[in-house]
Amino acid sequence: MTIRILLVDDHPIVRQGLKTLLEGRSGWEVIGEASDGAEAVEKAKELNPDVMVLDVTMPRMNGLEACRVLRRQAPRLEILFVTQHDSPQMMREAMDAGARGYVVKSNAARDLLAAVEAVSQHRVFTALNGREATGSN
Amino acid sequence: MKLRILLADDHEIVRRGLRSLLEKREGWEVCGEASDGREAIEKALELKPDVVIVDIGMPNLNGLDTTRQLLQLDPHFKVIVLTITDSDQVIREALDAGARGFVLKSDAARDLVAAVEALQNKRMFFTPRVNDLVLAGFLEKGHAVSRTEAPKLPTLTAREREITQLLAEGNSSKEVACLLNLSTKTVETHRSNIMRKLSFHSIRDLVVYAIKNNLIQIELPPPPPKAPVGPAAL
Repeated sequence: MTIRILLVDDHPIVRQGLKTLLEGRSGWEVIGEASDGAEAVEKAKELNPDVMVLDVTMPRMNGLEACRVLRRQAPRLEILFVTQHDSPQMMREAMDAGARGYVVKSNAARDLLAAVEAVSQHRVFTALNGREATGSN
Repeated sequence: MKLRILLADDHEIVRRGLRSLLEKREGWEVCGEASDGREAIEKALELKPDVVIVDIGMPNLNGLDTTRQLLQLDPHFKVIVLTITDSDQVIREALDAGARGFVLKSDAARDLVAAVEALQNKRMFFTPRVNDLVLAGFLEKGHAVSRTEAPKLPTLTAREREITQLLAEGNSSKEVACLLNLSTKTVETHRSNIMRKLSFHSIRDLVVYAIKNNLIQIELPPPPPKAPVGPAAL
């Protein structure tokens, strides 16, 4: 299955790590990158990705704000947060903002592929540290 | 002969990014990875890399103490410290610890290759801010780095710093004893000494101290938006 992904994180080295992981899957393509929420909103409009992998803490516009804007601008886009915040409260906020998935950065190597697969099929995927990943339709 | 690099960062995704960046250079090889300071020391002793890249904010043993311990074990190790902040205090501690390179994580994609190259050529690599601080210290005080605001950490021994970090990370004395191969009684004695030296009465004081002195790092939530974001902002 082909999945077109937009990567959004303010650290290029993190984007590079995420990209090597995602592009290991046949048919998955990272079609663009952005380093803050405002750029993410612009690039989503231009590139029309299937899935956006989005960080929370970023300059200019953070991921939560970007997610709220994107929910209105691109309702078919699925948003997956990959963040340092290992917190149920932040996860709730992200899901309330309109995300379909939430993964903690320290576990990204373990959870990211399953999470992208799930959200690309419009299923929920959330995983905090020390808890089993949960998914639902 | 290949230049062999050891990577230490608690985030696998960051190690992947670093590895992918460094291995693009012909003749460079990432010979090993570690996810905390203790593992970094074990692997460095085992693999004898030419360059060790350590993140400051690692669990169990932070990058600054990892650097100190590595250089005590073998002064030939060449260490580059990766950090999310270049505050004066962090810079001073990194220099004190003996790091020969200092790279901001946000700039790693741009600066890390240059830093490794510098160390390969027996030079040092620092961000412009470190250079400014060192120069200012030299001009004002006649030596490399001003000591007027010495960090608080040297009041504790290396072992006490390790134990402070582990306690501040939420480990019990028994768990610390297990991690460090010490008896619980020995850890309790260190704990009492730490609390006495720092005039602390609670573990809360110790956690605050550990955060202030970069023994542990915390992630703050993003600030609330300054103004409502609506379709007009598009």
